Amino acid sequence: MTKGDIDPPPFFKKWSSMYWLVLAVLAVLIVVFYLITVSYR
Amino acid sequence: MSQLDWAVLIGTIAFIVLYGVWKTRKTRNMSGYLKADNTERWWMMGLAIMATQASAITFLSTPGQAFEDGMRFIQFYFGLPLAMVVLSATAIPIYYRLKVYTAYEYLESRFDLKTRSLAAMLFLLQRGLSTGITIYAPAIILSAILGWNLTGTILFIGVVVIFYTVVGGAKAVSQTQRLQMAVMLGGMLVAAVVVVRLLPEQVSFPDAMVVAGKLGKLNLVDLSFNPNDRYNLWSGLIGGFFLALSYFGTDQSQVGRYLGGETIAQSRLGLLMNGLVKVPMQFLILMVGVLVFVFYQFHQPPLYFNQQQAAKVMASEAAPAWRQLEQESTTAFEQKRAAALAMIQGYKAGDDAAVETAAQQAQQAEVVRKEARLQAQELVKSQNNGVNLKDTDYVFLTFVTQQLPTGLVGLLLAVVLCAAMGSTASAFNSLASTTVVDVYKRSLRPNASDNHYVQASRWFTVGWGAVSILFALFAQQLENLIQAVNILGSLFYGTILGVFIAAFYFKTLKGNAVFWAAVLTQAIIFLLYYFTPIAYLWYNLIGCALVVGLGYLLQPLLPPNNTSAALTD
Repeated sequence: MTKGDIDPPPFFKKWSSMYWLVLAVLAVLIVVFYLITVSYR
Repeated sequence: MSQLDWAVLIGTIAFIVLYGVWKTRKTRNMSGYLKADNTERWWMMGLAIMATQASAITFLSTPGQAFEDGMRFIQFYFGLPLAMVVLSATAIPIYYRLKVYTAYEYLESRFDLKTRSLAAMLFLLQRGLSTGITIYAPAIILSAILGWNLTGTILFIGVVVIFYTVVGGAKAVSQTQRLQMAVMLGGMLVAAVVVVRLLPEQVSFPDAMVVAGKLGKLNLVDLSFNPNDRYNLWSGLIGGFFLALSYFGTDQSQVGRYLGGETIAQSRLGLLMNGLVKVPMQFLILMVGVLVFVFYQFHQPPLYFNQQQAAKVMASEAAPAWRQLEQESTTAFEQKRAAALAMIQGYKAGDDAAVETAAQQAQQAEVVRKEARLQAQELVKSQNNGVNLKDTDYVFLTFVTQQLPTGLVGLLLAVVLCAAMGSTASAFNSLASTTVVDVYKRSLRPNASDNHYVQASRWFTVGWGAVSILFALFAQQLENLIQAVNILGSLFYGTILGVFIAAFYFKTLKGNAVFWAAVLTQAIIFLLYYFTPIAYLWYNLIGCALVVGLGYLLQPLLPPNNTSAALTD
């Protein structure tokens, strides 16, 4: 085992498109939920 | 319950259990038993992760919560997708590189044995206690509404789950969970459609949303910041993020689900699937609760949904007072129904003033009904001091058993039992794997054969199953104990997460400092709980910050001991 094994990898080095997709969907959901909240108040 | 309902219920449960046992009957080695031989695809892990988190109480309490309090509980899940991204980027690659069986193994590589053991022990204590409640909570509700024998229901859930978890280990847990998840999602979708169809003819889905909105049930997002308020956007995003980070990143019942992936990429996709699907799924469950609320604006609900307790009051000297409250509640219901119909008429005619006037009348009637329900709770308390007065957990199942057509009742009960079994199976499996890997193999029998550890895992699964069943049976006597254990569980997460965050991101921190910082943090969290009103979601953030902060404060005072210092660069 080397010290590199227990260090986390650089954040967002790969896979960033999938990560951004998850975050974008969350952002859209929050906006939609907010719009529902204010329009049916 | 009709014969068709029994057939649907027993057929669904029996098929899932037998399928799981048959598919995993040849599991022989430790990797297969505890990590499913690293053969899991992303969607299998995604479903297993969701089934582990979705306990029976998710399907019983959540609609009831929406019924009483609206949909604001959804905000609790906003931090979850953020946590899935962070864990996919950081924790999964480390766990894979070290080829660990449990999350706590990593802590020995990074710090030392005592820190690993502390985290494993905190997990065993917290999960071991809470699993009994995972079985007890749905059993008490099912027995109250359907008249099932409570002890029999607890034993049935516990023994069936022990059976298939012992036979197939993590593989059986995963195989059954994907079917259980399909039943849960399918059942709730059907429930949502049926509730809309059960509304009066003149009430469409958009009309139902107007009524729900005007009565404060579509309160999905609250932008105000109040640290003592459990559910607002900020506590959901920040507190929910840290809670999800600790639950999915450091709780072996979840880590064990995604360590069985074919590749790192598959495990990451499994977690990200959870991040994408969880919020919409909770939205669906809460929406079912709101639709049940709208249904009960047009059909009279019982004064108190726990009918077993209501019957006790009716058989006592408090019966006249109870009937008086029922009368008040009926009057309020009739006023509310008239106001709701007026609201819908106004909405259809585009008359905003009429909608507002009717909404105010409905809200006033709702205040009267709530007051009657509070007084009803007092009467229940007077007859049975110590019983859980919250009857919202009974709302959904009361609706299901009284209003849904034959066959669907069996399906919805299968949803509840599937949820109970899925989360309990993950718990048994993770308790056994942590006991074997972090305690038995590490400290008691380090050099036994692979087959020996598989057998030990089977016995520990039986042992933890027996402890959980006993605790569930014992919980009948001590209703308040349940609340205490639920709270106790949530108090440990911040400390465990703090240890992992220190391990991942604070490379200069050493084992001794982190260990003692974790012990101190746990004590401080208990004090905060007893002496401050801070909402429990924030304990994760506070615990995490304390472990790191105290770690740096203590480090100069303690002798260094860090096994990772011996590692080569």
